[in-house]
Amino acid sequence: MTISVYVPAALSLLLAAISRIVVVRTAPTRAAAFVVAAMLCAAAATWGLVLLSATLLGATSLVADEALERGVQLQDPVPKLIGVTAVLLLILGAARVARVLRARRATTRELQAVCSSCGNGELAVVALDAPHAFAVPGHPGRILVTRGLLSVLDGDERRVVLAHERAHLRSRHHWLRAATEICAAVNPLLIPVREAVAFLVERSADEHAAAVTGSRELVARALTKAALASPAAGRVPLWPAALRFAGCAVSARVAALHSAPPRPEPLVPSGVLALGVATTIAAVQATIAFYQLIYWLWPT
Amino acid sequence: MADRATRDHTARGARRAAGELEAEVLAALWAADGPLTAAHVRRAVGGGLAYNTVQTILVRLYDKGLIGRVADGRRHEYFPVKGAEELAAEQMQALLSRGRNRQAVLQRFATSLSVEDARLLRAMLRRRP
Repeated sequence: MTISVYVPAALSLLLAAISRIVVVRTAPTRAAAFVVAAMLCAAAATWGLVLLSATLLGATSLVADEALERGVQLQDPVPKLIGVTAVLLLILGAARVARVLRARRATTRELQAVCSSCGNGELAVVALDAPHAFAVPGHPGRILVTRGLLSVLDGDERRVVLAHERAHLRSRHHWLRAATEICAAVNPLLIPVREAVAFLVERSADEHAAAVTGSRELVARALTKAALASPAAGRVPLWPAALRFAGCAVSARVAALHSAPPRPEPLVPSGVLALGVATTIAAVQATIAFYQLIYWLWPT
Repeated sequence: MADRATRDHTARGARRAAGELEAEVLAALWAADGPLTAAHVRRAVGGGLAYNTVQTILVRLYDKGLIGRVADGRRHEYFPVKGAEELAAEQMQALLSRGRNRQAVLQRFATSLSVEDARLLRAMLRRRP
């Protein structure tokens, strides 16, 4: 088997590294490019694992006997250990995807249950002091906030929260996030891409709120107040590495709002998409190489 | 520059859709410590709304059963109707105390901060009041 079967993993790492570097400078509307690239990388990497797993079939009596009968010299393209590892990785990936899907469905359902306990308007308010705001997807989508958040903000700042959450609902950001969560579950090398997309959809909603309220300063202020009122402020996170991005996200968003408005630059999304296309090509090449190993199995 | 920003702001405020205004008025009533008169609501919502607009929205919210009102002399004072308040709070508490997998799904407006980020943000807030 050629080296192409390992290329998707290498390109996933590259995509992850690029996501980390460019995310703060990327125009937030370009999140979709990262989602598409992540999906292509995840699909190619999974297909590569399937091919590597399939090489184990050469050891089964089914294939071995057939080869003996036809006088074909069987090749052993990859060490058995790699084949077995590929099988294990596939099983682990499937388990992680199932867990992500379950968590998403359960959380959405619970959020919808809280909303329906709070009347049937667009806005659902929970009488809790901890400041929280969520966009709850559904038909129709709703905005769930706590009284704690509303009471630390003034009227203009509350409008920012509403506009921000409406932007999530209107642009269906939960689909972008779900897609990258599944990609990262399939292929953990893509976790930084998932974080980048999570950050970009927040930035996108921030810029939308700025356009609606007419002031980026105002959005920055609302965000700062909400973050500082959070009860967890100052607590050292249990998983520093995992939470670092989430923790710095607010200050990065505030900093972005204080600097010049983002300009759409075509270079980053096209570069990211090119990576996705490259992994797809590698997957096709690996498939061809695999076919060349087994083509004799087909009756001529 | 500031003038223009303010004017834009007001112009945008006037164009806000009725549905969006309902959410803003409701949010203002929830944020308040006690019942508010229409005039107080108007001030709390901000953004230069007309008094009549506020009055219309309040009536609409009242008709929907989302807010209640008490008579205070000739005026009405409005307050948010707290439906299944305790149930909602319990459900929400349960939701927020779930494990890391479930937390990751929540799309938060603002996440918790590290000590350093909190200091950074306070500094920014001070610099730009």
